Amino acid sequence: MNIAVLVKQVPDPNAVRFDARAGNILPGTSQVPNEYDLAAAEAAVRLAETFDGVEIVVATLGNARESLNRCLAMGVDRAVAIESPSDHLDSLATARILASWLKTGSFDLILTGQEASDGGTGNVAPQLAALLGLPIVSNVIGLEYQNSELTLKREIEDGHQVVTTRTPAVLSVLTALNEPRHPTLKGIMGARRKPTETVKPDVPAQELQPVQSWGSLFAEEQTIAGIMIQDEEPEAAVDKLMAFLEEHKLLES
Amino acid sequence: MSNNVLIFTERGEDGDVRASTAELFGVGGSLADELGGSLVAAIFGGETQAPVAHVAELGADRILTANDPALAEITVDGYSRALDAAIDAADPAIVLLSGTTAGRDLAAYAAAKRGAAHLVDAVHVSLEGDDVVVRRPVFQGKLQTEARARRDQIVFITVRSGSYSPLERQANRTVDAETLPVEINPDDLRVKVVELLESKAGSANLEAADVVVIGGRGLGEAQNFELAAKLAEAFDGAVGATRAVSDLGWRPHSDQVGQTGRTIAPKLYIGVGVSGAVQHTVGMRGSELVVAINRDPDAPIFKLADFGIVGDLFEVVPILTERVRQARSQ
Repeated sequence: MNIAVLVKQVPDPNAVRFDARAGNILPGTSQVPNEYDLAAAEAAVRLAETFDGVEIVVATLGNARESLNRCLAMGVDRAVAIESPSDHLDSLATARILASWLKTGSFDLILTGQEASDGGTGNVAPQLAALLGLPIVSNVIGLEYQNSELTLKREIEDGHQVVTTRTPAVLSVLTALNEPRHPTLKGIMGARRKPTETVKPDVPAQELQPVQSWGSLFAEEQTIAGIMIQDEEPEAAVDKLMAFLEEHKLLES
Repeated sequence: MSNNVLIFTERGEDGDVRASTAELFGVGGSLADELGGSLVAAIFGGETQAPVAHVAELGADRILTANDPALAEITVDGYSRALDAAIDAADPAIVLLSGTTAGRDLAAYAAAKRGAAHLVDAVHVSLEGDDVVVRRPVFQGKLQTEARARRDQIVFITVRSGSYSPLERQANRTVDAETLPVEINPDDLRVKVVELLESKAGSANLEAADVVVIGGRGLGEAQNFELAAKLAEAFDGAVGATRAVSDLGWRPHSDQVGQTGRTIAPKLYIGVGVSGAVQHTVGMRGSELVVAINRDPDAPIFKLADFGIVGDLFEVVPILTERVRQARSQ
């Protein structure tokens, strides 16, 4: 079984700070692999541990060396960095580039995270399914595989839905699926010997023309002028909160 | 350029129009008026009487239905066929869908098939010249941006639930539904729905409680959820969780408040270690008073908070719990 894991490298969501003047996040924010994508990598590695003859390739668009190395250290077999032809790709162009690379292999399973923590459109997985003519299962939180059949648990609005499908398929996963392993020293050392290849996308320029564009970033308008308690001892902060609750008659039994 | 607006009418467990879809009719109607076109609703599956009547009362000018055994459950394979037929019949400039799991899959899939734009997670939709512009949250709700697409081809938009208020239903407004000729080979459904587990009905009294304490990822690990539960108990309130927490499996999905969970509107909401990602806050915006306790002063929850404490919840919450218990026992 051949598995492709698609990973995006994103600004660390815990370190993102807004630069109002630039209308962007502060430059130099540390980059990390998108959290949902690591759950996809972990799912692939677990399949390789359970079944014989599984090969896992992790791919990313653009420069994301650390994220690729992280996946290699987790147990992925090889990595592919697809050169980004433009800084202004929308999700459809991204999906077209990834699809053109995926067509060069014969993958039974294409695994990725539900959405990225930065742009977060969640478009790429269903778009890949459409472009590759494959089934899509999104919001995956449980995965079982046997004889080309996948039994998947999904999180949807009404609860947990169980579906089945056959490979080849595209799956986008949530963090509830698993807990991605921390790479061991041995894994990290081993990753250095694993092949990483750089490929140029083979997509005509007119297919990369964006169909949507974004403006600069802005912070949500502050709608509530609430009371903020900062740099106070816990007891003093709670005193003030109790007074607030009292005033709003929220402590009556 | 076409000028109609098509709404994909998602149906809930009861078969009627989902609340998140009912919200689309106000903005859909305004867009259709501005474009000089009509508002068309597409409803798939059987037993369409209730949703047909409902969308007519919400102002649909035209109603398209499709029924086939393959449309009994929402699947991308089945519903994208029916949506294709509705798009052929309605010739829309804009297709609006709820920002649900199904809506987002379907819109992205259908848009990619056409080489069209899918603008996701819109909290506001408007027209500017030949563009459709949406405002949407990015960076997990910490920031926003405007995304735009040209109307020279069809544009798909999924709208974040809770972004628009539902319209008042116009009693006795009726529209005759047209039936689309949709036939689907059951073998074309590559994903089969087996069952639905852990339906959200029937668990804790989250919707009814006057005080709801929500535990977020800041609690650090599953066992620390007890801190939130004890605070809720001190108020005789209910305890719920954010999406991040149910994603991590710390709490069952049925306790989740937010986009794929439940919607609450208590007198007092207390977020403990809740960052305020939009996936959660769409489910609590109706709360009368919001209290937030979080270590990160930049956490978006503080923007919604009437009272915020920037501090260590492991210190603050036990003290607060004890004080509330004392105050309420007097």
